[in-house]
Amino acid sequence: MTIEERVPTFFEWLLPSADGIGALVKLIIVASAVTFLGLFVSYLIAAVRHGPIEAFYRVAKVLFTGVGDLFRTSPRRVLAMARLAIQESIRRWVIVVFAIFIVVLLFAGWFVDPESTQPARLYINFVLTATNFFILVLAIVLSTFSLPSDIKNRTIYTVVTKPVRPSEIILGRIAGFAAVCTVLLVMMCGVSYGFVVRGLDHRHNVDLESEEAVYVKGADGKPVLTGWQGETTTNAHHKHTFFVDQDGHGYTNMNRGHRHRVERTAGADGNPVYSVGPPEDDLLARIPIYGELRFLEKDGSVKERGINVGDEWQYRSYIEGNAPGSVEREEAVWVFEGVTKDRFPHGLPVEMTIGVFRTYKGNIERQILGEIWLKHPSKNLASTKDLFESKEFQTHAITFSPTLERELTAADLQRGSARDTNRELDLFDLVDDQGRIEVHVACAERSQYFGMAANDMYLKAAEGQFWWNFCKGYISMWFQMVLVTTFGVMFSTFLNAPVALLASLLTLVFGIFKKLIVQWTSGQIEGGGSIESAVRILRQDNVMVDLEMNAYASRTVKGVDWVVQKLIQGITELVPSYAEFSVSDYVALGFDINFHLQLIQGLTTIVFVVAVSTVGYFFLKTRELAA
Amino acid sequence: METVAEPQKSSHVDDTDVVIETRNLSKVYRDFWGRQKVRALKALDLEVRRGEIFGLLGPNGSGKSTTIKLLLGLLFPSSGQALLFGKEASDVAKNERIGYLPEESYLYKFLNAEETLDFYGRLFDMPAAVRNERIPKLIEEVGLTRSKRRQLKEYSKGMTRRIGLAQALINEPELILLDEPTTGLDPNGIRWMKDKILRLRDEGKTILMCSHQLADVQDICDRIAILYQGELKELGRVDSLLTVQDITQVRARGLGAEAQEEIKEVIARHQGELVSIDNPTLTLEELFLNVLQESEERPGMRHQGN
Repeated sequence: MTIEERVPTFFEWLLPSADGIGALVKLIIVASAVTFLGLFVSYLIAAVRHGPIEAFYRVAKVLFTGVGDLFRTSPRRVLAMARLAIQESIRRWVIVVFAIFIVVLLFAGWFVDPESTQPARLYINFVLTATNFFILVLAIVLSTFSLPSDIKNRTIYTVVTKPVRPSEIILGRIAGFAAVCTVLLVMMCGVSYGFVVRGLDHRHNVDLESEEAVYVKGADGKPVLTGWQGETTTNAHHKHTFFVDQDGHGYTNMNRGHRHRVERTAGADGNPVYSVGPPEDDLLARIPIYGELRFLEKDGSVKERGINVGDEWQYRSYIEGNAPGSVEREEAVWVFEGVTKDRFPHGLPVEMTIGVFRTYKGNIERQILGEIWLKHPSKNLASTKDLFESKEFQTHAITFSPTLERELTAADLQRGSARDTNRELDLFDLVDDQGRIEVHVACAERSQYFGMAANDMYLKAAEGQFWWNFCKGYISMWFQMVLVTTFGVMFSTFLNAPVALLASLLTLVFGIFKKLIVQWTSGQIEGGGSIESAVRILRQDNVMVDLEMNAYASRTVKGVDWVVQKLIQGITELVPSYAEFSVSDYVALGFDINFHLQLIQGLTTIVFVVAVSTVGYFFLKTRELAA
Repeated sequence: METVAEPQKSSHVDDTDVVIETRNLSKVYRDFWGRQKVRALKALDLEVRRGEIFGLLGPNGSGKSTTIKLLLGLLFPSSGQALLFGKEASDVAKNERIGYLPEESYLYKFLNAEETLDFYGRLFDMPAAVRNERIPKLIEEVGLTRSKRRQLKEYSKGMTRRIGLAQALINEPELILLDEPTTGLDPNGIRWMKDKILRLRDEGKTILMCSHQLADVQDICDRIAILYQGELKELGRVDSLLTVQDITQVRARGLGAEAQEEIKEVIARHQGELVSIDNPTLTLEELFLNVLQESEERPGMRHQGN
């Protein structure tokens, strides 16, 4: 399993490129639009109350004092407000949330399937989802109830009659609640980490009856002992097979996403004694280098996508296979950049997940064969093809050693000198001047198909620390919590507590489903807008056919839908996409959370905090607190 | 037992130094759709001068609290201006020089006295050294030394007023606005509060208070304004307002019962000792009720005086 979405680098994301206008330009457009709209609406309201000329002065004055307040913001006052928010949270018994979290973990056995094939993934996903839920709900409740209750209890009177700026009230609250949630998040992170590590920890013993010696035929035809194999006992609902070499060192097979180290020593009585270590390779943080994927047709022409086998999920596209060495087959080509000797001194570790589409069943027990080889991007120079067995839904690890065997070229064959040719090939001879190398994959069975997407193959550049990756998962959660708190505080500056709570929840839902909403509002989803969809449901119309109504009715329905969609699109633009902060897949699937991704998340958070606090400032500034 | 300090009325009033000024100050409460609900204050013109205790009187709903809230910037005027130290009421900077004791001491109940004062001190951007010096002093001044570590939710009404006053004084303000400072206090507490207010005035501070307790206002205020239905009905010095100018009052001692019948002609003849001849004074309560009655009879007119 891999991460489907490609993370752009920070600057690709920030600056305009061929893919889009970039975050910076988008920010400028949205900020300008919101500022203009805000000023216009404020002017209209003021004009109705005070007349057009006075309104101009009033709006200008609020703006002017706003800028002044920015410079007069006192860290001491902000900290005082933050301290108050913390004291208030403690008084409201936020620690109960942590207690409930612990209780949920204690009863996690009820939700977490002990016989899962990927327990690590399940455990990690479970704790991350639970923490995220708890912390976001807590952040929303704390942030939306505080200011309205101050206004209701009139304690705000004694605060705003001191030289406190609205900005300080807002920033202090955000900082205070964020601090409370941070402490809880750190506590939850620690407990969750312990829960995952302890939960996955188990030991096996070796089933001595299953042990058998493994021999190979030696040069003289006599059997030579190479090691021992056998099975472990069943523990934690599974068992492993293992192999140890002559020296007594070895590993079990990978089962349920992990393996164990096995050591064999001779006991005092001459019987073998086995020791099986803790689970390994289940908690990973692989640092992948992704490449660009393209497809070669049978005639060698290049195309962007392979064959569509009719799968609704169009993430992968497919290549048709043929017998090994056949010219009549398609290839998938990944081009990787940044391949240097320093980075990969011990060869090129490639990991891939290949999808399989069978046009005939064949032997269902056996996997489909494929071939993989390396090639120079521009020269006619390639390594020999290695056969591999597709392991569907599993990660396939192959390491190309620094010294390879060269594939014979047509010229070699023509000369007929294949036997005499020195075919030794240095891995880095296949890398061009820009540090690029091609990895080719083909399906080696006739009329069977391999499916792949760009992220299905990557070079494993390094292995990060799992615990740090786990923490990074919590850092992304922290960003979400700060955003939710900021929105909550902003809404509470002009709404009462329950309405502010609802507004914050709606913002969260909009943010989580932002992509889907954007697809819907931009007409990428079949079936039209809300009214059109309702009409289709009532008339039981297919979403693919045109709306069968008279032209006038159809135009009215589509017109109203268009207005609603544009309105929702406008609102959605102002909400952060929380899906982009969700990194539980990275941690669960064992991929390192990219630094660029967190940089993007961090900057997005800062921009939203500044913008949303500014909006909150003006709401609080222009509000009569005693009304 | 504490004693009431003798009010030194007028000695601190400097006519040229205006601390609070309202010009044509009006407030109309509107509903969500902008329709007028209540006209809470009508064109109030008022001046409070440095060093005086100014009392704002009026029945419930007369506009006293609205005036205070407008002065504090908690409400925005519908028209007119409220100026404190020459600055608009909406200017946050004015709060540096103001202390405010709200009607109910709206404080954070989960804090104790020290934490409360520390919090408000920080809001004035006071460095720790200043706070550490002022907080124990203030707690002692308001007599809460023994309860300074108790949460405010455990405080009695009187203690809450005391800590409320302490937070209003944390910045050593020049102007103190007191909303019903003696309401809900026992006689001892009322005496303490009145003494404290007078002492503050003696220290040169200006005090604006609104109250229902007419006797208290009469005791301590230099000047008063009486509001009724959002309009100013009476304004002036307490002593002159309460003096009945067109009546002469004769007070005598040592007269027999029979002489009292002919008192006007016979004081001199009977060689009685003339103690004083002056004008009688009303109690503030009498004045207040007169103003209210007159306002009912002649709406929209300012009280004519006596």
